[in-house]
Amino acid sequence: MKQLSFHIIFVIFLCTASAYAQLDSIQRLPEVMLTDSKLIHFSKGFKLEKLNDSIIEKNAASLTETLRYNSSIYFKENGFGMVSSPSFRGTNAAQTAVIWNGVNINSVFTGQTDFNTISPLNYNEIAIRSGGGGVQFGSGAVGGSVHLNNSYSFKKIDSTKIGLCFGSFSTLGGNASTTQTWGDHYLNVGLDFISSENDYEYVGKNKTNNHGQFLRFAAKVNEARKLKRGVATWNSEYTYNDRNFSGSLNTIGKDAYNDIATRNLWQLQQNAGIFNTKVSVAHLFEQYKYFPNSEKPLYTGGKANTFIGTFQSEVFLYRKLRIHGKVEYTFVDAEGDNVGNHSRKTLAAVFLLNHKISEKFNYGINLRKEFLNDFDNPFLFSADAKWNVSKNYALRLNGSKNYRVPTFNDLYWYAGGNVDLQPETSYQVELGQEFSIGNLKADVAAYYISSEDLIKWIPGNGGIWQPENIHSTRNYGVEAVLGYFVKFGNLQSLDFNANYSYTKAEDLQKEKQLIYVPFHKAAGTLEYNFNSFSAYFQGLFNGEAFTTTDNSDRVETYTIFNLGAEYRLPCIPKITFGGRLKNVFNVYYENVAYRPMPSRNIEIFLNFNI
Amino acid sequence: MKSMKTMKKLFFLSLTTLFFISCSDDNDIQPDYVPDAFEKGILITNEGPFNNGSGTITYISEDYSTVAQNIYRTVNGVELGNIVQSMGFQDDNAYIVVSNSKKIMIANRYTFKSVDSITTGLVNPRYFLGAGGNKGYVTDWGDPNDNADDYLAVVDIRNNTILTTIPVAFGPERMVPYNNKIYVAHQGAYGQNNLISVINGTALESTITVGDASNSMVVSGNVLYVLCGGKPSYTGTETAGSLVKIDLSTGLVSETNTFGTTQHPSSLTMDGENLFYNLDGKIYKVNTTSISLPGTAIVDGFFYALEAKDGKLYATDAGDFASKGSLKIYDLSTNQEIQDFQTGIVPGGIYFNE
Repeated sequence: MKQLSFHIIFVIFLCTASAYAQLDSIQRLPEVMLTDSKLIHFSKGFKLEKLNDSIIEKNAASLTETLRYNSSIYFKENGFGMVSSPSFRGTNAAQTAVIWNGVNINSVFTGQTDFNTISPLNYNEIAIRSGGGGVQFGSGAVGGSVHLNNSYSFKKIDSTKIGLCFGSFSTLGGNASTTQTWGDHYLNVGLDFISSENDYEYVGKNKTNNHGQFLRFAAKVNEARKLKRGVATWNSEYTYNDRNFSGSLNTIGKDAYNDIATRNLWQLQQNAGIFNTKVSVAHLFEQYKYFPNSEKPLYTGGKANTFIGTFQSEVFLYRKLRIHGKVEYTFVDAEGDNVGNHSRKTLAAVFLLNHKISEKFNYGINLRKEFLNDFDNPFLFSADAKWNVSKNYALRLNGSKNYRVPTFNDLYWYAGGNVDLQPETSYQVELGQEFSIGNLKADVAAYYISSEDLIKWIPGNGGIWQPENIHSTRNYGVEAVLGYFVKFGNLQSLDFNANYSYTKAEDLQKEKQLIYVPFHKAAGTLEYNFNSFSAYFQGLFNGEAFTTTDNSDRVETYTIFNLGAEYRLPCIPKITFGGRLKNVFNVYYENVAYRPMPSRNIEIFLNFNI
Repeated sequence: MKSMKTMKKLFFLSLTTLFFISCSDDNDIQPDYVPDAFEKGILITNEGPFNNGSGTITYISEDYSTVAQNIYRTVNGVELGNIVQSMGFQDDNAYIVVSNSKKIMIANRYTFKSVDSITTGLVNPRYFLGAGGNKGYVTDWGDPNDNADDYLAVVDIRNNTILTTIPVAFGPERMVPYNNKIYVAHQGAYGQNNLISVINGTALESTITVGDASNSMVVSGNVLYVLCGGKPSYTGTETAGSLVKIDLSTGLVSETNTFGTTQHPSSLTMDGENLFYNLDGKIYKVNTTSISLPGTAIVDGFFYALEAKDGKLYATDAGDFASKGSLKIYDLSTNQEIQDFQTGIVPGGIYFNE
């Protein structure tokens, strides 16, 4: 069965092909503006994938699910909805930066973002930028970065959406948002929640996931106002997560976790002569409470406030040369039961340049230097180039040096935190090729990452675990993305997306594959549209991943399939309803050893578009 | 590099001793090599991966010719559970304490055929001691975040149910029997404690104050040696480790030898008149006839568990705690390593079948 299903995916992958949405698509709509425009202008030699709404909606239970099916990122998920940390190109969990409207939101404590705490429906755009982005996005953008962007526009918009979703395991979800423009104003307000009993069966194990209840709530306000020579914007987000943590195959879950985050970003953009300047202030707040026993009030917790002040200025000369300078001051103040009270100040100076030599060729140079730190932040750089060889073929090349600063847990954890830690550093190069023949698009990238001074917690004297800068790794791999779109007449169309990655991530001391990095991962979605009806078939192949550092144990290869269909009623307001069947063949699978994922389940949904 | 060499050696060993095929695979359990019985040999309890996996038991025959991994599962087809903390014995039975799965799995100690299990009444069980008279004792931390709910469970080993519980001070850990009494060392769970509880029948008779973090004990004649780790530096009130002698005929501390303030020893074991323990990456030997600390360093290495027996020293290396560990055997007449076997993940206990 396993073999067979792998072949099914593979055959589909080879024969058919997407709306592999390059970011170009939004550039064709100049009236929509991103709050983080650097992402487009200074990433031309990087692989940048944008996930559109119809793709996201198919896997919208969590950002983990969205990216599992639509990127090469592997997620270590402790059971559905539980803690989920990424491995992007085989790098560690703190080496994927999550960037909300240009602001790095990885936790001050863990250096990671738990991808199950983020609703994928709260953004206008989710983009995946592969490869090193340390210069632009700071600490943690080593394997790549995931961008959550809210855009704005001043054209006429009056749109309200309400979505409801019911699913197996007492899952209930709701989403409401409205976007309005009037005069010089843009306003977008939204709410999103999902709650689930999450009591799925462990397929074939005669056990149930009986302590995995979760609730996620998010609210957002995005506002923009056109000024005489610029724009003022405000982006705001609130998220609340309350979860019981699942047990494993042989333990009973009893702990619980509760977290709150607020994010605010104010930006004032002004044009003065050839200069386009932007002043921004951001505030991030995160708080967590860990309950060792969900039935008892006792908890340990922490909270952190991050203030970021930025001044940036950009010139665009002769429609060819774009130069961007940025100075950013960050102040972090954190307090936790396990880390005490500490603060961190960072001043960063960033220089970005993109030069379009001709229609065919452009290159970029990016530099970053940080000051005021407790440790020696390395000087970071990156260079990239893109060469449009022909209408059908383009080449990308980039190289960069990136870093990941020690987290507050690494530095101050009681007991074991090590204040002498230095940042992890990483060098990488990537060569990419883009093919475009009619409706067929493909992207093939090969990369090499060498990382050193990686922070690893090791058992030290007296049985206390301490982090040290001792680990070094070498990652290399190949990624392919394929997209094909074909229309039959006026009513029918087929849309196919697929990605495949081969990842070799090697511990240089042990000469073994790193744990929880599968060599092979592939996913694909085939969608059929007929007028107001659409149906899709989705598959995921996940190769085995080792769970012990000597590669003696593993989580097994799995292949799962999902099906979905929806129908849009031709009335006003527009009503769409449909359903999805997930894990069609009721396969047992896990992404972390002994942490089973859901059995076959269904969800039905109803969306109003007013 | 040393670790590379060890890895290669382990790899070679694994091929030659037939257990290479035993790497765990839920869907596809491979038949391991099963000797008729696990008599006469060394048993190692392996805690297993901390959060996501099962502990195992490794068997090494007395003549070193047979090594079998994961013997409980091989015999019974089911896994032990998460964190195989320790093992105790009574008559023909082994009581395997699986702390994170809150249970004790009972198997015949020579065949490892499952006999029974204790799955109710345990919260965070640590050690089992078979005390004769149909009684067994289990130290249990209760909720480790609560210092007031620690207890000893008294097991009726005829039907493997918990007869009663005896509330004790926080962090009860290892036990030794002497003259119908049970001496319980309170290492202190997540913190540190400095007591030995004396249990008589089903009652707490008295407590004896020793050094901080009493982590291991041995009885010799009517003397109880207690090794105390002391409070580690991260507590902010670091205290020295100590070796405490208790005269069991009076129940009083007769001698306390103190280490340096930053020295935190562990894993006390004894062979003949010598004590052995771990300290700062070395194994030390101390002669009990005239205790002088730290004694003589005889072996280099960070070891997780130590047992000395009949002129040999058995020491487990848990490596990075995320891969298979090893058992090294030293000849105490020369202090040279004579054997090196692969074990399961995090080998935490060494026991003997005779």
